[in-house]
Amino acid sequence: MAEISLKNLTVDFAGFKAVDDVSLTVKDGEFVVYLGPSGCGKTTTLRCIAGLVNATSGDVLFDGKRVNELSASERNIAMVFQFVSLYPHLKIRENIVFPLKARGVPRAEIARKLDWVTDVFKLGDELDRYPSALPPGARQKVALARAVIRDPAVLLLDEPLSAIDEQFREEMRWELGHLQRQLGVTTIYVTHDQREAMSLADRIVLMNNSRIVQISEPDRIFFDPVDIFAGQFIGSPSMNLIDLVPVSGGLRLGDSDVTLTVDHHDLPEWALSSRKPLKLGVRPLNVHLVDGPQGGGSIPVDDVFSVGRERFFTFTVGDNVYQGVDKRTNRSGTEGRVSFDPAGLLFFDAATGRRVDGGAAE
Amino acid sequence: MNASRTSAIDVATRWIIFALLIAYTLYNIGPIFWLVLSSLKSRMDLFSMPPKLFFTPDLSGYQSVFGVGSAKDSASAVGVFDSLVNSVIVSVSGTTLAVFFGTLAGYVCSRFNFIGKGDFMFFVLSTRMLPPVAVLVFYHLMFARLGLADTRFGLVLVSIFANVGLATWIMKGFFDGVPKEVEQIAIVNGYTRMYAFTRLVLPMVRGGIAATAGFCFIFAWNEFAFASILTTTQAKTLPVKISAASGATGIEWTQICAAGVVLIVPVLIFFYLIRKHLLMGMTFGVLGRR
Amino acid sequence: MTDHGHTARQAELKRRSSGRLMIFGFLSPTLAILLFMVAYPIFSLVYYSFFNFSALRQTTMKPVGLKNYEFLLTDPALWERFVFTGKFVFICVALQMLIGIFVGYQLQKNFRGRDIVFTLLMMPMMLSPVVVGFLWRYMLNSEWGIVNFLLSSVGLSKIDWLGQTTPALWAAAAADTWMWTPFIILLATAAFRGIPETIYEAAEVDGASPAYRFFRITLPMSAPVLFIALILRLIDSFKQYDLFFALTGGGPGSSTETVSFAVAKTAFSYFYTGEASALAVILLVIIIGLSMILVRHLQKMGEKY
Repeated sequence: MAEISLKNLTVDFAGFKAVDDVSLTVKDGEFVVYLGPSGCGKTTTLRCIAGLVNATSGDVLFDGKRVNELSASERNIAMVFQFVSLYPHLKIRENIVFPLKARGVPRAEIARKLDWVTDVFKLGDELDRYPSALPPGARQKVALARAVIRDPAVLLLDEPLSAIDEQFREEMRWELGHLQRQLGVTTIYVTHDQREAMSLADRIVLMNNSRIVQISEPDRIFFDPVDIFAGQFIGSPSMNLIDLVPVSGGLRLGDSDVTLTVDHHDLPEWALSSRKPLKLGVRPLNVHLVDGPQGGGSIPVDDVFSVGRERFFTFTVGDNVYQGVDKRTNRSGTEGRVSFDPAGLLFFDAATGRRVDGGAAE
Repeated sequence: MNASRTSAIDVATRWIIFALLIAYTLYNIGPIFWLVLSSLKSRMDLFSMPPKLFFTPDLSGYQSVFGVGSAKDSASAVGVFDSLVNSVIVSVSGTTLAVFFGTLAGYVCSRFNFIGKGDFMFFVLSTRMLPPVAVLVFYHLMFARLGLADTRFGLVLVSIFANVGLATWIMKGFFDGVPKEVEQIAIVNGYTRMYAFTRLVLPMVRGGIAATAGFCFIFAWNEFAFASILTTTQAKTLPVKISAASGATGIEWTQICAAGVVLIVPVLIFFYLIRKHLLMGMTFGVLGRR
Repeated sequence: MTDHGHTARQAELKRRSSGRLMIFGFLSPTLAILLFMVAYPIFSLVYYSFFNFSALRQTTMKPVGLKNYEFLLTDPALWERFVFTGKFVFICVALQMLIGIFVGYQLQKNFRGRDIVFTLLMMPMMLSPVVVGFLWRYMLNSEWGIVNFLLSSVGLSKIDWLGQTTPALWAAAAADTWMWTPFIILLATAAFRGIPETIYEAAEVDGASPAYRFFRITLPMSAPVLFIALILRLIDSFKQYDLFFALTGGGPGSSTETVSFAVAKTAFSYFYTGEASALAVILLVIIIGLSMILVRHLQKMGEKY
């Protein structure tokens, strides 16, 4: 087990910077999840740690030692790939012990370790079958068993659950988290699925356009996004983002006749005097439709619908449609007042997209 | 994969591999180069020691193969052009018929289950394994009795037999790639199965038919054993004719080399055209669409 | 209801019979030509093999029972042919598989000009085998051949390639290997390229050295394809005739006669048709037996995964 550090890591693929100046330290035993849209550089970063891709500049350090020059086979890492990478011509047993055999581990120890992982992963019945006879979920379990059998310095997981059925994925996710805590192995996990990231990670590293956007614990990244991208990428349904227009005494929401004021909405004083154009970010769970007539300014409510037990509503500002939670007692029609939870108001610089209300990661 | 990580052993290994590859390439390309060079040499240059790399090209070999120019009247050139004509006629008609029959059989093997299908397929495949000389012992007698000896028709017959198995297997592979729904929809809409086959399925495997024809042509064009035993004068093909190209002055090497070049050109063209299907043809379609 | 069922059954019958018509119509030309050109000759061969009979004097056919076989199988000359054929097959297949797998492994990577290099390397197998035979005979001429010239120019002594038994065997093997190694390269490359990149990455991450990867991943995963290549080369070199006809003419003496060559010589030089038939039957039994064993083994390989 080891502490993994990246220092100004850059990977350049013939002029395209797939990873751009990424620095990060993953503590020993920590579970870090790289999250981001496809093509953001998260997988390339992982492959760079693995030694499957060369860093153009910057360093990869394992326990403080530079490993750039070591090949993947010399780095003592284990990896599980997105698509099944079991050896189809070997039985499950042979697949699992492959890393040990490749390193010439004594036979007695191989047998002992095999017993151990077989027990941990409950693979007893599958050992003498070929990979093609197993469902995708079970195959990834074998790949995981193969990865942990030789106490790797770091466990690298590249979207390991994405090829598995929805139902089985939940179960695997839970088992994976449980296993990681049990083994205490430093783990780096790449995914584009925020739910996986939220439920597994000690820390989430959010990437976009080859750069790190934000590094935080799952809760903080949700409530305290550093910019518009982070705010909108995390959370479902997505964060509402509304233009703010300065008017006397407050900030008006787009072209509606609703104005946020210091008195009614805890609008911070500084926002009134801000010279930069601002955008308001507010998660649907912080926008409520409540009983009562629309007083003063009003936002027309378009529609009310339910998803399971929850009720949502949509409203329009300008050309954009936004969502909120319906909290009325009388749940019929679209009559009601749209109210914003003051604690949930996030302010962004309209030009740069950065948070400007002095939130977290500044 | 990682150019930067090299030890002395890696470097040495890489150089050894590189040297071996170069050695193989020379072994592979050298004779072809020598064949082309020799086809352009005059008798004088051919036997000169040390061998000449630069010389005045002499086209007599090609002249005798194509039956033009002054060399066509030399003793060794008599009938060489006729044999080229025979080669073209036999391989083109043999290929056409083999592909036609093979397409029909391949379609049935792809779409229907019938009693003895497995045995039929294995029987067809086994014709690939058959040593020509073994059946030739009997062909020799049979052809004489039926008046087929030394006729182009006889050779066309042999050519069909030698290639129809290959054609059946490859075409089966191509038909397997066409979804069965194509015919099912046509039949549901009131068309006959025959109509579906000729108007819908066949146009979809046009490329496959062309590839199959390419393969059959290559084998028919290069065929030697059958043609050498079953022809005497009239129906000799080019490979057979050049094998007897020894005049009063010994073996006509220039003529043989020129014929070799002439023989390889159409094959080269076909190889290029059907390169995507190479595996399918070379292995009887066993490896085909993997 | 019954009426409807009746019509449906009639339609089903009609459909089936039209299917049968198509099977019959489409298969019969191929079946006919193969029966006429393969089955009929083979049965006739078996029949003739029990006679003392020459194609030159077709009126006298003396039944001799198993005498032809008895004569052949006790004839040391035939055993020499088998031994020679065996040596030739072994050398050829071993060299072709080794070189083919090696070169194929190096050429599987993508590099610039790969298609052109490939097409050039495939040229030997595009030639007619008889042309290959003559080409090598021409290059191996002991007096003015290019090969001996190259040998002497680096200070080695000239070799009388085609005038001595052992050099002639190696010359034939060199020519056959020259012609057919590209075929192995073609198949091996296709097989190697069929192995997904992630498998190699997984193996590298698992700490396997390049050699370990080659022997534990690459070779076993491409084994079925390589085995097909092996079968085809085994059978083809076993029945090789054209090459020897043009290269050595069976000589010196009869020391480079393969079994196929011996069949042709017995049948078409000596016109011992009965004996040639018996020899052809022996050859067929061996080849068909060999290919059935190999094909069965291949099917077993395929079932595994």
